[in-house]
Amino acid sequence: MSTIVSPPVPAAGNETVLSDTDVLIVGTGFSGLAIGTRLARQGRHSFALVDRASSVGGTWRDNTYPGAACDIPSHLYSFSFRPSTSWSHVYGRQPQILDYLERTAVEEGLLPHTFLDSEMLDAVWDEQAQRWDVRTSRGRHLATTLVTACGHLSDPAIPDLEGLDTFTGEIFHSARWNHDVDLVGKRIGVVGTGASAIQIVPELADLAESLTVFQRSAPYIVPRKDRAYSEAEKTMFGRLPETAQQLRAGLFWDSEARFPQRLGVPAFLAQMKKAARDHLAAQVADADLRDRLTPAYELGCKRILLSNTYYPALTQPHVRLETSGIARMTETGVVARDGSEIALDVLVVATGFEATDLPFAHRIRGRDGRLLSDHWAEGGRTVASTSVAGFPNLFVMQGPNTGLGAGSIVYIIESQAEYVSGAVDFIVDRESAIEPTVEAEDAYVADLDLRSQGTVWLSEGCRSWYRHPVSGRLSALWPDYMHRYRAENGAFDPAPYEILGSGRTVAAGQAR
Amino acid sequence: MNFLPGVREGVVRTSRARVTSYDSTDPDDPRTPVVLLHGTGGTATSHFWALFPMLAEHHRVIALDFTDPAEADGEPDTSWYVEQVEAVVAALSPHRRVAVVGYSFGAVVAAAFAGRRQELVESLVLVAGWTRSDQQQQLRNEVWSRLHAEGSSALPAFMVFTAYSPAYLLARTAPELADLVASAATGRDRATMMRFNRTVDVSEDVAQIAAPTLVVGCTADQMVPPHHARLLFGGIRDARYVEIRSGHAVVHERPAELYHLIDPFLTDPARTTPGDVILQEAV
Repeated sequence: MSTIVSPPVPAAGNETVLSDTDVLIVGTGFSGLAIGTRLARQGRHSFALVDRASSVGGTWRDNTYPGAACDIPSHLYSFSFRPSTSWSHVYGRQPQILDYLERTAVEEGLLPHTFLDSEMLDAVWDEQAQRWDVRTSRGRHLATTLVTACGHLSDPAIPDLEGLDTFTGEIFHSARWNHDVDLVGKRIGVVGTGASAIQIVPELADLAESLTVFQRSAPYIVPRKDRAYSEAEKTMFGRLPETAQQLRAGLFWDSEARFPQRLGVPAFLAQMKKAARDHLAAQVADADLRDRLTPAYELGCKRILLSNTYYPALTQPHVRLETSGIARMTETGVVARDGSEIALDVLVVATGFEATDLPFAHRIRGRDGRLLSDHWAEGGRTVASTSVAGFPNLFVMQGPNTGLGAGSIVYIIESQAEYVSGAVDFIVDRESAIEPTVEAEDAYVADLDLRSQGTVWLSEGCRSWYRHPVSGRLSALWPDYMHRYRAENGAFDPAPYEILGSGRTVAAGQAR
Repeated sequence: MNFLPGVREGVVRTSRARVTSYDSTDPDDPRTPVVLLHGTGGTATSHFWALFPMLAEHHRVIALDFTDPAEADGEPDTSWYVEQVEAVVAALSPHRRVAVVGYSFGAVVAAAFAGRRQELVESLVLVAGWTRSDQQQQLRNEVWSRLHAEGSSALPAFMVFTAYSPAYLLARTAPELADLVASAATGRDRATMMRFNRTVDVSEDVAQIAAPTLVVGCTADQMVPPHHARLLFGGIRDARYVEIRSGHAVVHERPAELYHLIDPFLTDPARTTPGDVILQEAV
């Protein structure tokens, strides 16, 4: 089935063709492993995976910062087709999630199909051969269908701080944690107060001599209802799998019931705001600090965070919340906008990811050499949040309009894997290339724009990475319930596609 | 508290009662209205705080607060409540058929309305409803009535205990559970409806229901156990059936799942056929 040539490691830029398959998958995080597993279990089509890193796992491989954990309960934030009974807590910790993904790759037999240390340099649609020609740092891959599974929280976003280069202390991004730096007794700064930062801060507070948190906007934080699962529970999940399935279903519908918050429904907003307000009041006694920790935007505009330890960390005497903003950096630390100088040994940049201008889109050329990033200059445009006009046989997982304000992205990923697998069947069966029509893409985008109206994300005063900076369109998120995503986009439908005629035929098992 | 900005609150009179109504749009809306009927001890807002706005995203939604008779008027019969539905439908959506969604006691009234006024009902959803009160229900009703008569401080906890599923109660923090019990103590007076509930029998009306019907049973329901929903499924010709893992308080426990089931049925009842048991897909 597989046509992978066993890889002698070639030099960078090598033109050696390393694989020639029906499907090439770029990325080995949740998305890549989901579609990879599906193709492997199906056993119909040849496929290969490439990843720029030396191991699989995507964002859960990259984010190794202290305290890294999921904000979605693990019994929901895991593959439905690979339920795990061994989650230690309601919210899995990063090493467990990474282990889960690594085991998926091993047990589903994906590693023999996987090319690691292979960064996609460019991918070009070859009109003549009707296939994708993908250059990586280790060699070429040819495939009838290209699936990007690069994630939208993959490439660190670094703030453009004046004097950043002059700082002589240690500096690193939360998703590229430098574990060689000894943090004990150091003067540490953390830039950002998003999902990563609020997990990092309590951990660093325990180590640092002093800790300064640079906050641009205060997030809404609600209690983290975490607890350990007992051995009896874990064994019960194994012996009575329906108990784990019922737990998962309950978590799913709980998440779905939060969506009306994003539609601004008063009762739903009031409930959650009360939870956030009560949490802050219970954990922070100082009125001034509480004031500065009170969000100034509508609930749900940015991610709602879960933590029981972030606020208490900020109340410690050696921890300081800096809200005036960073004016510039010097050799020895930070100068805040209010003029105060903060001497630092280490600066942790926890400012998130390049989520609106997706870096992989700058490396993909469709028909007539058109760059995907140009097509998406004003925000992602797709059909079914997955395929793109002008880019035959390309399927984008976790690209535009797939993110969620409330819920488990794994549910969307599985829906996309189902869709892509149906599309691959169609392409292989018809021996043809397919591409959504421009009209279908316009209609899909217009429909999403319509649904986005009235959501909190487009409300006045709401600025977030969910919106495209140029057009203001809600390009990162799926603006509806999760169950509706699957109902509408969870199965391949050829209707919005143009069939580009029969190209080359790859006989299964044909090697180059 | 209002459901959503723009929801119009009004008053409709029957010959015997004054009823508060809610309308998500207005009579010019060409869509078939969805009429929500609340359960015992509830109001439109207290039971449909979640379902009303969810449905209102794509439907015209009407709801009402059932009014009990004054003491001098004696005990209500089924007609007392059916009349109120008739009046609200006539006032807000004249000369037009409606979809009716009844929950618990509201499902009893909805079934009676649909059986008696076939010409008005385009489709029907019965959530945690029943046809005839049985001795399991009467036993609980009796305990409730005695606690109520004695002014017992145990009453709110007893109500929470019987209304919610074990799974739901277990997932609450201690303060959340305390809030739940405290709020059970403050609802509207339910004594009249509780007396009504002891002797419900709408079997003749149920046999007359002609509209396509979705029957929803709740697996962990102690107040209206799912055998009642299964009997409704057996008793209504054009019925399909689905179960939700929830206690009786499904409108609070699983509103999104309820919405996920009701919305496609209302949009296109012909998507499923009479006798279908709808199996929930694994998530």
